[in-house]
Parts: sequence; C-alpha cells; structure tokens
Amino acid sequence: MWPNVKPRLFYDNLKLNLEDPKSFYPGRSTNFCAYGALSYLVMERDPLAYVKFMNELYDKGEASFNNKHFKPSKAVMDAAGSLKFKGVLDIRHAEQMWFLALADKYKGYLNFFDKKFDEGDENTFWAATNLAKFDRMVSKLCGVHVEAVGSDLIKPWVKDTYRYLSKRIDSNIVSLYINNRIIHKKNHDKIKFSIPTHFIILRQIRKEGNMITLRYWDYGGETEMQVSSRTLKKIIFGIITIDK
Amino acid sequence: MTGHRSLIFISCSLLAASCSTKIISTNIYQEHKEDLDNIERRYEKLNPANHFSLAFTDEKFNIVSVEMITDTLTRIYEFNVNEQRLADTLLTYNYDTAGIYYLIRKMQQTKVTWINSFDYYVNDQPQQLIILSIKPVTVRYIFSPPKYVALAYFRTAQSFDAKGRLLDSRRTKEVRKIKGQVFYKITDRICYTITDKYR
Repeated sequence: MWPNVKPRLFYDNLKLNLEDPKSFYPGRSTNFCAYGALSYLVMERDPLAYVKFMNELYDKGEASFNNKHFKPSKAVMDAAGSLKFKGVLDIRHAEQMWFLALADKYKGYLNFFDKKFDEGDENTFWAATNLAKFDRMVSKLCGVHVEAVGSDLIKPWVKDTYRYLSKRIDSNIVSLYINNRIIHKKNHDKIKFSIPTHFIILRQIRKEGNMITLRYWDYGGETEMQVSSRTLKKIIFGIITIDK
Repeated sequence: MTGHRSLIFISCSLLAASCSTKIISTNIYQEHKEDLDNIERRYEKLNPANHFSLAFTDEKFNIVSVEMITDTLTRIYEFNVNEQRLADTLLTYNYDTAGIYYLIRKMQQTKVTWINSFDYYVNDQPQQLIILSIKPVTVRYIFSPPKYVALAYFRTAQSFDAKGRLLDSRRTKEVRKIKGQVFYKITDRICYTITDKYR
C-alpha cells in the first residue's frame, strides 16, 4: 500500500512523535511548514488520536481523523518514504505520510493550478498553504475555535502588535503567518516582495526597549530571535488565535 | 539613421539580456581554492563542539547573522562585525570566540556569504556535508536575479554522471538535488551550483 515506507522507520517515528510531540520536522526546502504548525496543535490536543489515525492509514490506506476522512492518492502513497535530502524527515516515514496526506486532502487557491501530486511537488505550490486554508485545517482537525486577523496580502489592522500578541499568548495558542524572507534573508536584494511565506507557533514574547524577543516553534524545535517593533509589524501577515 | 539603429540594437540587447546575470569568473573555486578549503576546514573543526551557522546579510559583509544551534533551541542574532555584542554573545554561549572571528574575517576576504552544515541520510544512516555560498563579481541587468556560487563539501567521495551531475548513489542514475538545485563535480567530494539564493 505504501511501497516506500519502511515499517521500522514508520513505527520508530510514531514512537518519537508520542515521546517528543514537538519534534515534528516538516523538512528542508519543502512547503510543509503549515502542516508542521498544524501537527504541533494536533499533538497538543490529542496525540493518541494521531497515532491511532496513522496506524489505520498505514494498514488500510485510508482513515478518519476527527470525522474527516483521508484517502490519499496513489501518487502520494508512492511518494511517502521516498522524500530525500530534507534533513531528518528523510528517515521519518510516518511524518512523510502525514504531511503528504494533509497536502493531498486540503486545497486552497494557491493549489489551484497544481492539484495533483508529481515528484518534487512537496517543494511547490501543490503543498502551499494560504491563511484561510490553515484556519480551516486547524478548525476541522483540532475541533477548536479559531480566530484570525490579517490576510495573504494585507497585514492585520493591529495598532500595537506586541501588546496584541502578549495579551493573547497566555490564554491561547498563537500561530503567526509571517514573511520569513525579511528575517531570514536569502539574497542581498534590497527590494523584497512583501508576501507571507511561513507559519510558526509563537511560544513567548518579551520586550526590552525597542527590541522584541520572539521565541517560536517551527521545524521540530524552538527558535529565539530579536526584532525591532517596526520589523515585527512588517513581517506579520496573519495572527491566528486558537483556543487552548 | 545609424544612431537610431544603434539605439534600437542596444535597447534590444539590454532587453534580451535582462533576464540573466553574468558571473565574471568561470573558475571561482580554483582561484580561491586555498582560502575556501581553509574556511571549510576551520568551520568543520569549530562546528561539532557548538553547532552554528554564519550568514552575511548585507552586500558589504559588515552584518553577520549568527545561528547558534542546540538540541532544544536555536538562537538567531544579527550583529555588525565590529560590535562588542558579538564577542559577548559568543562568550556567553561558550563558543570559540577567536575561532569564529577568524572565520568571519576569512569569509569577508573571500566573499563567502554563508556557511552551514547539513544532515543527509545514506541507507538510513546520518551523514554530514558543509555548504558555503560565495558572492561572485557579476554583471547584472535590470530585473535580473542575483547569482551566487554554492559549494558542497562532502566527507566522502560521491558519484557523478557523465555530465558531472551529482548522483543519489553509485547504484542509481538519479540526480541528487540539494535545496532543489543540481550540483556539478569539482572533485570527488566537492561540487558546485549556481543559484539565486545564498541559503
């Protein structure tokens, strides 16, 4: 059913997911970051449901999660276990199945021209996620109330971003849809497209003078970085508040 | 009339060339071999003790972004290389301050804009390679993307096809892409690609 998924790597991965739920790694150079953030939220709420779902998906090729039925396409089933050069995702065959199955099932307007999986599509628009699609996935798979401000092109109308975030972070889980190209530059061009590229889970935020220290989860671990108030406002396109 | 023709010719040439950036040197690795290999060796020595990566985020190589990576937390800070804060931070987190300063100076001199190490897997076993990107001298037209030369240093000899493209393994003819790029042979364990992103 899953010709390239190795049973040992699959079960080792599930065990790791249970023991260390924050270790989900969406892979280097993929467009799986939204599914990574979603995994964080799923594991916060119901890790056993995830394991049960994955076992059923592995055994039968189809399964339901929170009453949402998944039956991945043959192309996706063939690809799972064969993704390479994505860092530790190479040997995490359960996570490969999970991310591919999510990208195969949930579609937004960014996927309009590339709905069918072809080799290498984990890095393309086939796997991309816009803000509304992310909100929909979180709401349906986690069964929680999701409140979002912002959009894919226009930044949220929030007067004081720091205050807005710090007010929500204690009683909710906060996810951010950010333009990662500003804080993680990839070329020296001064003019950059102002578009969001990355989903993260905000873990902590604090302010000293004009500098704001963010601690966030993505790619299987936490990252701490300092930005100015102006940069913080510049990078955030979506603030997603999720009930704890 | 001739003036008009020249103007049209120049305009057409500029338009035709507007999509490509030309790298002046065709042999950057050989020209800077000693310095580049030295940077890679120095990084390879420093990195295992305390994992880190360095990137110059400005064109003048004055602003360095340091990623200090542990199992539980990655800290990303940006410094002007002359700031005392850089040394203080490296000391605070027990990095080899002198070693990293030496690396920074060498990277500035050789125009190496980024250095990092990557995990990859062969037969499910972890392997490591080091990638560094060089900012070459280019002729750049309006709207053309920037160009960088990325070098990948493997620890062991790799397989290449007749066109010099890096392969997945000796047993397959599958071309191995790193960050979506095809790499070409320089030596058995070093290969390169031209890319519009330095990392």
